[in-house]
This record gives sequence, C-alpha cells and structure tokens, in this order.
Amino acid sequence: MFSGWNWVAHCLYLLLNICSLEVSGGLVQSCGHIIPESPVLALGSNFTALCILNESCLDFGNIYANQIIWKIKNKVVPKEQYREINRTVSSVTFNDTSSLATPLTCNILADGQIEQNIYGITVTIGLPPEKPKNLSCIVHQKSKLRYPMTCTWNPGRHTFLDTHFRLKYRWPQENFPDCIPKDVNNSCTIDDVQFFVNLEVWVEAANALGKAESDPLVIDPIEIVKPLSPRNLSVNSGILPTVLKLSWENQISIAVMKLKFNIRYRIIGDTNWMQVPPEDTASPRTSFSVQGLRPYTEYVFSIRCMKEDGVGYWSDWSEEKTGVTTEDKPSKGPAIWRIIDASSSPASWTVHLMWKALEPSEASGVILQYEVTVRAKSSLSSPPEKYNVSTTNLTLKLPNGTYEVTVIARNRVGASPPSVLLIPASNTKAPVKNVRTLPKDGKLWVGWTAPNSYVLKYVIEWCLVSNSSDCTIEWQNEPGNIQGTYLKGDIKPFKCYLITVYPLYADGQGSGQSVKAYLQQDRPSKGPTIQTKKVGKAEAVLTWNHLTVDEQNGFIRSYTIFYKTIDGNETAVTVDPSKTEYTLSSLTSDTLYTVRMMAYTDEGGRSGPDFTFTTQKFGKGEIEAIVVPVCLAFLLIVLLGVLFCFNKRDLIKKHIWPIVPDPSKSNIAQWSPQVPAKHNFSSKDQMYPEGSFTDVSVVEIEADDKKSFSEQDLKPFDLLKKEKSTSEGHSSGIGGSSCMSSPRQSVSDSDEGETTQNTSSTVQYSTVVLNGYRDQTPVQVFSRSESTQPLLDSEERSEDHAGGSDSTTQRQQYFKQNGGQDETNTDRPCFERTKQITSANEGDLVGFAQLQISGQSSQLLGLGLEKNTQEAALLGVLQTSTEGQTVRPETVEGNPLSVDEMPKSYLPQTVRQGGYMPQ
Amino acid sequence: MAAADSSSVALRRRDLCSRGIRLAGKMRSDVINLLDTYVEQQGLDASASMAVVEGVPMAAVEHWDEQTGTQRLLENLAAYRAFRALLAQMLEEQREQLGEADAALGRALAAVLLQVSAFAYHLEELLRLESRGPPSEEGAGPPPPSHLGLFERKLWGLGVLRELAQWAVRSARDLRQLTKPSLGSSLAPSPAESP
Repeated sequence: MFSGWNWVAHCLYLLLNICSLEVSGGLVQSCGHIIPESPVLALGSNFTALCILNESCLDFGNIYANQIIWKIKNKVVPKEQYREINRTVSSVTFNDTSSLATPLTCNILADGQIEQNIYGITVTIGLPPEKPKNLSCIVHQKSKLRYPMTCTWNPGRHTFLDTHFRLKYRWPQENFPDCIPKDVNNSCTIDDVQFFVNLEVWVEAANALGKAESDPLVIDPIEIVKPLSPRNLSVNSGILPTVLKLSWENQISIAVMKLKFNIRYRIIGDTNWMQVPPEDTASPRTSFSVQGLRPYTEYVFSIRCMKEDGVGYWSDWSEEKTGVTTEDKPSKGPAIWRIIDASSSPASWTVHLMWKALEPSEASGVILQYEVTVRAKSSLSSPPEKYNVSTTNLTLKLPNGTYEVTVIARNRVGASPPSVLLIPASNTKAPVKNVRTLPKDGKLWVGWTAPNSYVLKYVIEWCLVSNSSDCTIEWQNEPGNIQGTYLKGDIKPFKCYLITVYPLYADGQGSGQSVKAYLQQDRPSKGPTIQTKKVGKAEAVLTWNHLTVDEQNGFIRSYTIFYKTIDGNETAVTVDPSKTEYTLSSLTSDTLYTVRMMAYTDEGGRSGPDFTFTTQKFGKGEIEAIVVPVCLAFLLIVLLGVLFCFNKRDLIKKHIWPIVPDPSKSNIAQWSPQVPAKHNFSSKDQMYPEGSFTDVSVVEIEADDKKSFSEQDLKPFDLLKKEKSTSEGHSSGIGGSSCMSSPRQSVSDSDEGETTQNTSSTVQYSTVVLNGYRDQTPVQVFSRSESTQPLLDSEERSEDHAGGSDSTTQRQQYFKQNGGQDETNTDRPCFERTKQITSANEGDLVGFAQLQISGQSSQLLGLGLEKNTQEAALLGVLQTSTEGQTVRPETVEGNPLSVDEMPKSYLPQTVRQGGYMPQ
Repeated sequence: MAAADSSSVALRRRDLCSRGIRLAGKMRSDVINLLDTYVEQQGLDASASMAVVEGVPMAAVEHWDEQTGTQRLLENLAAYRAFRALLAQMLEEQREQLGEADAALGRALAAVLLQVSAFAYHLEELLRLESRGPPSEEGAGPPPPSHLGLFERKLWGLGVLRELAQWAVRSARDLRQLTKPSLGSSLAPSPAESP
C-alpha cells in the first residue's frame, strides 16, 4: 500500500520535470515579435516598427493585427501612428525618434478588454560621430632614441552612443597599426615615429550610426619635435671679469636634427632675465661665452634648444646654473658729501665727511678701504692729509677755509677714480630756485630751476622731520644737467620731509634751498585741543596749540571751529592755520557752549575733543556799573546818616542813654521821713537844653478840681488812672527809667470812679506807650509796668531801715541793672527836674493825666514838659507841696532792695515801637 | 606649365634628397647605436671581423664616382630592399630567441627596419621623378642563410648591421651627389666625388 503511493508521487514528479524542461527549452512561444529588434536610431530621424503576430496565436486566441496596441514605456502610442498592414502585421511610425523611449512594446486586447503584452524592444537613440577637427601632433623627445608622437583632435559633439576613435597613420608605401586612445577620445600617442618620411595621420570616429574621418595631416615628424633641453649645463669664469663660459650637452643627435639655442641669464636676486642675442646661438654648439657681464657678479644661466631651422618647438629651459665673474677695479669713485658743524668754535669747523658705498656693479669686487685726502686750498704749501678708513664717514676738525676732499675706493684689483668735493669757506654761489616736490609712482620727485651758471652736480639732502627723533640727514648726488630727480631712499607716507638742494660748482657751492614735502598725506591723527582763554558775555576767546608734525600727517590747510549750544545748530568757522587764537563773537550770554576744532589736510580733517564753556551773565563793566553807584549811594547815605546823627547826637544820646537820676544827688538824700527834702528844680532849659524838644506840641494836663494838691490827696498812692488821651501807653513816671520818662504818672481823666488800687503800700504804675500822634509813628515809647509796688512807703521804709548810706548802695545796684548806663552830668538836671516834677505831683499823682505827646518821629518826646504858663503853674504847685509828703518815683526805682523784694519790680527799658514791655 | 612642373619636380627631388641624406645620417647613427646594443645583447665581440657576409649587399664599389645618378639610385634601392628583408628576418629571429625579454633591442631593430623601409621609399620616389619608375621587387630579397648555426647567425646579424651602416654612409653621399646642380637633371656622376 505504502509503496503504491510512492509510485504515484514519482510519476507526478517526472511529469513536472518534463513540463519544466519544455518551458526552459524554448517551448514557450510568444504570440508575435517586433521588427527591427533593438534598433539604434539617429536622433530626429523617423522610425517604423512592425509587430508580427504568430499564426498559431490567431487560431488559438482569435487575436488579429487590428487589436494591437503600441506602447512606449507603458504609454499608449496614438492610434494615428498605427497601420494595419494585414491581419497579422501592425506597424507604428514615429516621425521623430526624439519622442521614442525604451521599451517599445506591442500589446493586444485579448478577449475584449484584457491587455496582453506580445513583444517589446529596446530602442537606442543617438547621433552619428562628427568629423574630428583640429588634428595636431607633436613629438616629445623622451630620450636620445625615443620620439613618441602625440596627436590631439576635437572629437566633436556628444553622440550618446559608444563611439570609438582611432588615430591612423601611414607612410605612402606602408601602413601602421592604429593608435587607439586609452580613456580619452581626443588624443593618442604613437610610441615611436621615424623622421624624414612624410607621415599621413588622420582620426577615424565610429559608432553604431556611422563613422567619420578627420582631414589627414601629412607631416614629417622631424618638423614637430620638441627636443629635450640641453643637460649638464656648466658655467665657468673666463679670463676677463666680464665673461662667463657656458658648456652643455645636447640630448638629440645632430644626425636627427641640428639645433639652435637660446641662452638667458640674470643677476642673482634679480627677477628680470636677459638673453644672449639669438643670432649668436643660431647654430649647433655645446658651449658659448657670455660677454658684457658685470665684474664680481653672480649670474644665473639657463638654455634651451630647437631645430635649427625653427620648425618645431622649443625645448623646455634647462636647469639653472650660476656663475660669478671675477673682480675688477671699482668703476667709479664713491659719491661724497659733508655736514659742517660750525657751532663748536668760531674759528674752526667740525666737518663730517660721508660717502656712499659703491653699488656692487660699481665696486666690481670687495671694497677693502677708502683713501681720503684733505687738501687746504688756501695754503698750497701745506701737504695734504691722508686718511685710510674702512667706514663710509670721517669726522675732521678743520680751521675755517676752503678744502678739497678726495675719496678713492680700493678693492683687491685696484683703486677707483677719485671723487672730489670742494668745501668752500662760504656758500656764495647762486642757489637753485623754485624747489618743488611731486609724489609720483610711490616715490617723491624733487625738481628745481637751475641757476644760470654751469653746475657740476647737485646734492639733494633730505631728512624726516619728527618730534620724536632728530633730523637724520640722507643725501644723494645728481648730475648737473638735470633739474629733477626721485629721492632714492625709504620715503614713508604721511611723514614730513625737509628737502634741500645744493648746487655744486667747480669753484664753489650755492646755498641750499629747502622745501617740505609729503610722499602721501592723510588726515591728521588727532584734532587740536581747544580751550577758552577768556569768556565774556557775548564772546569767547579760544586758544589752541598747533598739532605736532607727527600728528599732522600732511600740511594743515585750515582749522575749522565748530560751536553750538546744547540745543542749537552747530556753527562752523574756518580759521587760518597759522593762528592759535580766535574770538567767537555774537554769543548768547549765560549759555553753555560746546566747541571743538578740526584740523584739515588735503586728505581730510579730524576733530579734537569737545570743550564746553558758559558765557557770562554780565558783560564787562556791567557789575561795576551797578555795584559802584550802589556803594556810593550807600556810602552817601551812611555819611549823611552819620552827619545827621552827629548833628543830632545829643538827642540820640538822650534817646539811647537816658539820664539816670543819681540818687546820691537827689534831694531824698536829705530827705527825712517827716519832712521831705525840698528838691531843687532846675529849669526846663537845664534839663533839655538846646531845644531838644522842639516839637512837643501839646501837653494836656487836666487838673481835676477835686484833685487839689492837698495833703489828703497825697496819701493814697493810687496811681492807677485811666488814660484820657488817645495814647494807650502808661508812663511809669519813674525818672530812673529814662530821661524821657516822666516822673509823673500819666495823667488821664483820673476819674475817681476808675478802678484804683488803694493800698497804701503799693502804687499802680501806668504804662506809657507812645503812639503816633494823629496816626503818626511814634519814635520811642517808654511804658511803665502796671505792677504795683510800694513807693513812698517802701522807700520810706527802706530809708528808715537802711539810712542814707544804704540808699547810696541801692542806687548803685540799680545802675548796674541799667546795663551800665552811667549817670552823666547832663542827665542829672533831667533827673533832678523830674524829681522836681514828681515832687510837684506827689500831692496828687492820681490826678495826673497822661501826657499826650505829639511831634515828629525824630523829635524826642518828653513827658511832663511844661511850657510857659503851665510850667509856671506847676512850679507853683510844687512849691506849695514841698512841705507835704512827696512821693518820687525815682526813689522807688532807685531802691533796688525794694525791687528785689518785690516780684513785680520793673526796670526801665528802651522800647521799640509798641511800647514798654512790663516785666 | 611645363616650367612650373619642372620646378616643382626639382623641388620635390631636392626635398627627397635632402631628407634622404638626413635619414641616412640618422639611420647610420641608429645602426651604430644598435650595433653596440646588439653586440652586448648577443654576447659578441665588437672587434669580430667578417670579410663577407652572405646575402648582404656590399656598400663598397669600384668606380663609385663614375656611376650615374640612376645607377646609384638603383643600387641603393636594391641594397635597402635587401636590408629590409634581412632586418625583418633578424627581427623575427630576435623575437623568437629573446621573446619580449629584450624589448629595447627589438624596438631598435624595428626602428632601423622602418628607416630602411623609409629610405627605400625615398629612393623609389626619386626614381619616379626620373620618369623611370622603381624596379619591381623580386620576391623577398636574398634568403637568409638557414644553414648557419646560432652563433654564426649572430655574427651574420652583426655583419648585416655593419654593412647597413656602411650603406648609410654611401647612400648619403650618393644623394648628396644627386643634389649637385650640375647633375640635377642628368644624374651624371661627378668625377671629383668619390665615396
């Protein structure tokens, strides 16, 4: 059973193998094919393809040519391009192959809409090769026997196809194998060519679309040879110092070609080559002597060759070889100049002789030493002095005079011609004129106008002008027939050079003419620092320093001052470069200005730092014009015041220093308790002399009828009275307070009904305030305190206790309290008078009305000033009351002990406007 | 027209002669160099002398100065045609013996062979200008001596090259003789000249 299944499986396996063999063996057939198979088409050409169906498919699948669909890369070709040739053949035509792409397939719609691919082809599109152009060949010699020839050509356009190039060449009677390029399509090298036979060369290009040949090139390869350059070049010094002999080997046989040569040479270090004239080396040779060289100079040589007739190519230059010519004696003497320092001594010079080392071309060898000969022209008898130096300068101290200096340079071969310099005693000859400079080609050219006389040569001196270094002089000689030259030295840009031109004559020397110059200018490196020298109300004087020569970088052509206020526009003022000061005018007073300054060269300017200043509020003299008159006026006022015070000194004195009654001189000293002392009343004139009270207008004293000066009236010391007058002050009535104070109480209406203090021990003093009369300002007021104190009683008691001597002490204490005001004799009458008045009132003080005092402020007002009849009447009253008990305010005031004891004591004070302030 | 043709012929002839002379000179130079290489490569002695080399045309001739130009050209052409065959034989033997081991000697032989061929072409052209035309080649020239041993063949090769060098000298003189104006057209020999 199991083996039966194995047999079936084996049969199936064999069947499958057979089927697979049939398939792999080509048994599977497509239903058609396309003609042509994988064509290569020219770009832009037309193309027609045919799809041919197999007959077997026709019968099997009922497919016909009209069902064929052409596709290009899965894109259906429009049916307009189809054509059904017969029932099995369909064609498609493309007018331009550029629309073609790979693959082109033939498909068919089988069984209605099922599209099946029948066949496909690959289409290759390209271009036929162009005719190669510009064929050229060259034979590069590789060795003595190898001459490969390389030909190059232009292969033409890209063909998009595999295109092969072949270089073909032949002799007329013999063909050679083609040269096939490797990796390139535009050149090929033939390994070896034979000369002297014309060779026909051409290029053939071929691809699937065709082939093309270039025009043939017929050449004898000997005419296109680029030979190897001569080798083993050697340079040998000749007998002469100006000759070097070259030798070399040619690498091409003379049997192959005759050569001509080019020889070039240069001084070592130089970049410019010189060349031996070609006609001198136009024939075959292996050596050549180069002449006309400089002595003791190292040269570099190189050589090349080519076919003698000039047909072909030059070889490369050979390797360079150097050679040195031998020494010769110096060709010329060194240029010589001098600097004369005459400052050391008036009778002699310090002459610094200096000469330039010879150029190598002039030295012709190694200069071993210089021989300097100095000969005084004035004394021919003296032998010349000779110096041998190895440096290029010599300093001599010579007496003033004319000298001839000769310098000779000497090397191993010989001596140079002498260089002669005449040092005249003075430069009296004509100088050059119009020395000028011009920067040109990076160098500084100096020109001058020659003097009329024949000039042997010129010496141009120059030095760099700098603040940081001395002017180191450089110089050069120029022949006498020129009027301009370039400075031969390291002339730096932006630096100032002082250039001097001296003409040298056969018999003397002209004075030097100088000019300053810059090779190149630039803006100044900094601007001037400006500051104010003086600032006024509307002008400011600005000052600055010139820039140093190192800062200038060029010629300062102008300065420009820029100034502005904080919010104003900038104003520019151009200033001459020679100035260092400028006055700005029309400025606004008391204004802050910012000012800066720019210095300009030809290349531009640079600004200095800003500087600010403020103009003054007042102009010059304005303050003086105000202050001086004010001072004068003040002085005048003071003077007037002093004069016035002087005139009124007594009045002032009285006003300021009131007369303090001297208790020691008062009548109370003689007063006894029972019998009051009778006071001596001085006259009014004595108290107030010289019309001190000139303007006391009114003193109203109203005597009450009831208040007669009786014994009864004096007892009560009720001094408080109402003021009747408009003045509200109260006079203390104490003479000690002031000269002005009235010993009498101010008298008002003294109404009996008024509140009074009727104590027997105290007296209510009224305060006297001086008001302006009729609205006028009172000058001075004395007031009496309203305090009450015992007057007569206390006074009496004190006297009772202390006696006469004690009263004196008390007065002295009182005076001390008055600020040291001394009692004067002039006060005394006042005091005494007051006392008298007080005495007159002592009988009836309460009846005193306040004195109304009016007058000018400058007038001293007094209390109790009586006039004429009133005074007389008062005197009369006082006389009558002498016998009675008299109360004197002075006594109270003069009794300090009483005051101390009494807390309401008061002191007379000077009261300003407003009255006397009670204490 | 005839004058122009004559002039161009003369120029062509002169050019051929000139280049032939130079080719002969180069050929001689190359053969001399080749001789050194050959002697060295073949292990021969440069002083080896051979009186007569079989099958090799001899350059020496009696009454050389009595020859006409055409005669000179014909003798030269015959000689170089012979050398062309001999050198081709030598080159083949060289390649057989040494293979590619000594490419320089082979290249040198090939170069000389080319020059010989080129010189023969010059001669043919000159004969054409004589309105005579070159004679047809008679087979491949003298057959190489096949009976010789290896060393003798080397010596024979040495003799071929030496004789070729001699021919190069003679040919240059022959062509120089042809370029002389008096002999321009007649190619008559100059009694004063001798090889």
